[in-house]
Formats: sequence, structure tokens, C-alpha cells
Amino acid sequence: MSSTADRPSAAPRLGARAQVVATRVHGEPPPPALEYQGLVTRGIAFAIDAFVVNAVAVVVAAAVALTLSALGLSDSLDTVLAAGAAWLFFLWSAAYFVVFWSSTGQTPGNRLMEIRVVRADDGRVLRPWRSLLRLFGLMLAALPLFLGFLPILLNDRRRGLQDWIGGSVVVGVPEAPPPQPAKEPAGFTRSG
Amino acid sequence: MASASDEGDAPRSAGPRRSGLTAIGAAALRPAVGAARLGRRVTARAVDGATLRTADLVLNSKVAGEVVDKVADSPLFERAVSRALAGPLVEAVSRDVVRYAVLDRVAETILRSDALESVLERVDAADVPRRVVDRMLVDGIVEETAARVLEGPELERAAQTVLESAAAERLVRQVIESRLLDEAVDRLLESEDLWLLVEEIARSPAVTEAITQQSMGFADQVADGVRARSRRADIWLERAARRALRRAAAADEPATGDGPATPGVPPP
Repeated sequence: MSSTADRPSAAPRLGARAQVVATRVHGEPPPPALEYQGLVTRGIAFAIDAFVVNAVAVVVAAAVALTLSALGLSDSLDTVLAAGAAWLFFLWSAAYFVVFWSSTGQTPGNRLMEIRVVRADDGRVLRPWRSLLRLFGLMLAALPLFLGFLPILLNDRRRGLQDWIGGSVVVGVPEAPPPQPAKEPAGFTRSG
Repeated sequence: MASASDEGDAPRSAGPRRSGLTAIGAAALRPAVGAARLGRRVTARAVDGATLRTADLVLNSKVAGEVVDKVADSPLFERAVSRALAGPLVEAVSRDVVRYAVLDRVAETILRSDALESVLERVDAADVPRRVVDRMLVDGIVEETAARVLEGPELERAAQTVLESAAAERLVRQVIESRLLDEAVDRLLESEDLWLLVEEIARSPAVTEAITQQSMGFADQVADGVRARSRRADIWLERAARRALRRAAAADEPATGDGPATPGVPPP
């Protein structure tokens, strides 16, 4: 005879059963309304990401510099190494954003701020090439004194230049599980 | 005149003469009266003795016992006893028992005598206390009593009374101020076992988990605060920008297809 502690709790099974009955009676619950995120929230998330990217880069650069100093390389190689480091930093930064946007739609900063980058037309996660385009748009928006971000303040869906180029929107993450990629969430429109 | 005085002296002369005759008669009858009194006394004694002997005979006879038994067994006796118990007799007897301190006198007599000691010795010899305790333990009376005491308000009241008393305060002060406590604390702090115990507790999964949860809870609170403020800042900034550029907000257009783009942002 199993004791009470050994027996699995009946509460989860009861809850699941009640959910099934409620769905059968009342139908599927409406999807949570999407909330497009504004400039401040996205700026904070980007600042967190920039801090992470730079912190990792600084640590790696310090380790590499220490190693190279121990090797005693000539000064003529400094320029080459600096250029290589710059390229590596660019690649690292690009990979950071592209990988996170393409995999979960959330960078660590986005996760902390509970926002997600998704496609504007169907709400699915961005493809890698779209993520690359968005990153390019991000740099492009920052070049003219950050004027490319101004549309976020004025647009109904809070889209900046990088969102138009990458075909994305930034939405809040609901309390419920994240939207399934295969299913088109309510609230997305084709217009942008 | 002479005749009047004669008429007045006549009764005076007849009275002494008559009392003298009475005295003579009484003296003559005195032996007879004494004999009569003696005879009456003897007769009364004889009647009393005969009555007592008759009563002894009656009480000691088998017939009397049977009569008493029959009377005691009869419905009449039962009815009489019931009537007496239902009537005011009980109250009257109780009042008299109280009035004349019957119970006090009985108790005093019993306590003065050796009867109580004798009874206690017999109770002790029969091992009655142990049997009573065993019976109470078997029947669970002790557990019930303990549960009742612990659940009832009496223990709490008693503890409160003790704690609020000046004696308890003095006792606690004495304990705190005593050198014994200082010495005990010093020895405890010097004990390696104590620090081993503290280390074990600090390393226990329950404590580390509790600390982690508390830290995460604090981080979550900070993050929640930042998120809420940033969203308010978004709304404020958009209002300011739209005012500055004098552009009408598209509040009427659906933000999600159904509603405004920025929840809670009224059109400027």
C-alpha cells in the first residue's frame, strides 16, 4: 500500500480535466491581446544586450591581449590584430542578435524586459536572413542621429526603421506560454 | 354598737378554728397519701419494666423480623418511601443537615479517629493507586486530559499570568544577569560543534534554496518595477512626441487589429 506522500497529487490532473471541460463548454479562450512595445522599453532591453555583448568582448579581449603580450609579438602586428578584433567584435555582435532573434525571438535583454521580436505578418519567429536585415536596419536607423527610431513614437504598431526593413514588430510576452510558430496569433495584420 | 362589733368579729373567730381542723385532717391523712404515692410509683415502675420486657420479646422474636421484612417488601412501604422522597422531607432533612452541621461533625469525627488512616492503609495495601493510574492510562484519559489542557484556554491564561507576573520578570532578569548564562554562552561560542552545526545548516539544501528563492524574488521585483516604469515612460514619450510634431494619434485605428496601438493611451 502506497503512502500519501508516494501518491501523485490529484490537483494537476483535476486542473487539466477542468480545463478540458471548460474548453468544451465555452470554446477556446481568446488569445491575449498583443501589446506593441515602445521606445523606452526596447531601449532598455538593447542597453542590457549591449552591456552583455561588450562585457563578453572585454573579457575575451583582455584574455587574448594577455596571451599575446606573453608571446611577445612585434608592434607591427598591432594594427592587424586590432582590425581582426574589430571584425570579430562585429561578427560576435551580429551573431548574438541574429541567433537570438531567429531562435526564440528574445535576446537576454528582451527576456528581462519581457518583449519579443516576431514577424509582422504572422507573428512567427524571424528567419535568419530577416534577422540580418533587421540588424542592418538597426545600424541604419542609428546612423542619422537615431532618427530611424523616431517612427516608433509615431507609428500605431510602434515600428522603427529596422522593423520595416526586417518585417518585424516587437510585442510583449504574455503570461501564458509563448505563441506557437505554426499558429497565427490574433491581432496581426498584413499592413505594416 | 356592741352588736356591730360582734357581727364584725364573728368571721374572725370561725376562720382559725376551721384551719386548725384542716391541719389536723391533713396530718391524719399524710400517711395514706404517702402510701398512695409509693404505690403509684411502684406500679409505674412495674408497668415500665413489663413494657420494656414485652418490647424486647417482640423485637427479638422471629415474627417481628418477618413482619419487618414483609413491611419492607410491601408496595406500601415502597410507596411511602417514594412519597417521602418526592415530598418536602428531603429538603427539610437537607436543611437540618446543613443547619446542625452534620457533615462537618461527621467529617471531624472521622478525621479525629483512626478510621481514615485505616482506610488509606487498606487502599494502599490493595494497590489501588497503581490500578487507578493503570486504568487511566489504558483508557486514554491522560491523553484526553493533556489534549484538553493544551487546546483549552486555561494553559494559555496560566502561561500569560506567569509571564506577566513580577516573579517571572525577576527570574528572567536574574537569569540574564547571572554569570552562569555568560559562561554558558561563552562556552557555546567556543564549541566547535556549534560551528559545525551552523555550517551544516547553512549548507543544507533547504536553506540554500530559501536564500536563492528570496534573491530571485527580489530580482523579479526589481525587474517588474523597471518594466512597469519603462512602459509608462513609453506612453509619456509618445504623447510628448505626438504633441511636438502635432500629429494626430491614430487612437481610433486598431493597434492589434481590434484596439489602440498603445493600450491606455487616449488620443492627444
